Amino acid sequence: MRNISLIFKRAWRSVVMVSAFSAFAVSAVNAQDAAEGRTIFKQKCSACHALDRDMIGPALQKVVPTKKEEFLLKWIKNAPALIASGDPEAVEASKFNPGQDMTPFPTMTDAQIKSVLAYVAEGEKKPAGATTTEAASEEVSGLSIAGIVAIILVSILVLIVLSRAIKALERLILQKQGIAIVEEESVPVSVGIRKLFSNKKFVLFFILCLVITLGSFGWMGMWNTGVHTGYQPAQPIKFSHELHAGTNQIDCQYCHSGAFKSKNASIPSLNVCMNCHKAVQARDNYDGNISPEIQKIYTALGYDPESMTFDKTKEKPVEWVRVHNLPDFAYFNHSQHVVVGEQAIRKEKGLKPEEPVCFACHGPVNTMEEIYQFSPLTMKWCINCHKEAEISGKDNAFYTKVIAAHEKIKKGEKITPALLGGMECAKCHY
Amino acid sequence: MNKNKIVLAAFVAFAFAATISACRDKRSMGLEYARNMYDPLGYNPDQPNKNFKNGQTAQMPPKNTVPVGFEQDEFYPNSKEGYEAAGANMVNPLPADKKNLAEGQHLYKVFCSPCHGDNGDGQGHLVKIEKFTGVPAYHGPDANSSRGGLMQDLTAGKIYHTITYGLNNMGSHASQITPRERWKVVMYVQQLQKIK
Repeated sequence: MRNISLIFKRAWRSVVMVSAFSAFAVSAVNAQDAAEGRTIFKQKCSACHALDRDMIGPALQKVVPTKKEEFLLKWIKNAPALIASGDPEAVEASKFNPGQDMTPFPTMTDAQIKSVLAYVAEGEKKPAGATTTEAASEEVSGLSIAGIVAIILVSILVLIVLSRAIKALERLILQKQGIAIVEEESVPVSVGIRKLFSNKKFVLFFILCLVITLGSFGWMGMWNTGVHTGYQPAQPIKFSHELHAGTNQIDCQYCHSGAFKSKNASIPSLNVCMNCHKAVQARDNYDGNISPEIQKIYTALGYDPESMTFDKTKEKPVEWVRVHNLPDFAYFNHSQHVVVGEQAIRKEKGLKPEEPVCFACHGPVNTMEEIYQFSPLTMKWCINCHKEAEISGKDNAFYTKVIAAHEKIKKGEKITPALLGGMECAKCHY
Repeated sequence: MNKNKIVLAAFVAFAFAATISACRDKRSMGLEYARNMYDPLGYNPDQPNKNFKNGQTAQMPPKNTVPVGFEQDEFYPNSKEGYEAAGANMVNPLPADKKNLAEGQHLYKVFCSPCHGDNGDGQGHLVKIEKFTGVPAYHGPDANSSRGGLMQDLTAGKIYHTITYGLNNMGSHASQITPRERWKVVMYVQQLQKIK
């Protein structure tokens, strides 16, 4: 009997083992399918589809479960042909976005399509350990500062209590030894100070100190009048250059496209933001909701992200606060520096080749979460660079023209202001 | 006690100066002199302006006008028909020389490569870090255009039309890239289409 039960136990165990193992294997295969499907989805589908919301195409997690796999295989491989063939289901599906048929993917295999469908069914897995938000980390730093202050206060309190205790103990010892305690004469503080100020030498010293400190503060104040280095105004939208220019490595010129061709670097209009933020909504960081800062772009444009339509009557321009305030009496041209002077500026400011020339004056913008004025923008600062920077006439269309004009003058030929760029509108009208 | 009063006044002045200079607020421009020499008399393009209906200084050019120095190409509407017509009729007006190609490459790097990748393989930095997905490659036998056909077979006019109006998740780049610049980008993209 014992033997039988033992065999039975063993057999049972192996069955459990095998079934557990096979279940594991199946789930692993599924996971692999979904992972492959995710890659394909990101490559081919996500331009028009999202899992949980309508974009150019419908939300896949809503639509896919209502369709048969057989239909989906045909539809994905060649939707326009299926619609043209008059398949009632396909015709119905094409009504979602009448202006845009679904792209045909004739090269996709059935296995690939199935793995995409597996990914759609499974959905996006949340990464373990939710990412800490910036607000949380800021809170921590705030807390730690408060903690340090508290520690200092407590230690001062402890010191005071301890010194009191020492004094009391000393008194006790003296009393025990039978020595009479001489009570210190308590002099009022005001009388003490008055006594101090009747000393002429002290008064002289005091006034000297006062003059030196006030003088140096005044001097510094005067030097820094109208110098805005470090000026960091609060902006209506918390746009982070650290994220866009740093993490995302988007070129400065993508948004400030004026810098290379005009006087102004130009603040991008909101349509430039929408080039990316029509799709990028940072929902992962806000529990599936649109980031409140990105929502501000939508509000300013009167854009409804659900229906993806613009309402012109609700438009309200964003009022950015100007950071770099060059005085109106000083003329500065971005393109002149960024295009003509690029090599000279790079050399003078010692920029690395991978850094954009903009960093020479604007500082490490790719590390600034909030933009601030990096350089003083004073006349002295401009002049210093203009004295030191070395210009090279080689491979530079501007200086080649200047040199050519000088050659003409040397030869005694006729030369006009127009030849030297005197016909440019901005020479007079700026 | 006159002397005491003077000393007291000096002390207060010192404390005042110290506090003023200590709180240099990064949100303010600090001490300023003759601010009116800094502010422009004319309007900056990004300033509010009561003279216009919408309260902005930056205005669109009036209808049927073209600003000096801005070339205008033949107009094709943002529709399927417009796209096909542009693909059939538009020809790159610029000669395919080294200078134009180099400029096209620079513009491509700035405006296109964040998503489409330096080689046009659809694997730009933003795609790699999964900020932006679903970007097609320009070459390869399985890179389909969402408007039919292969990406590598797109004509210059079709590429130009797409840059001008955008498509799917890609926005219009007409405000950032002038028509002439667009043709330079098209020229460079057509080089990338040839990659095997």
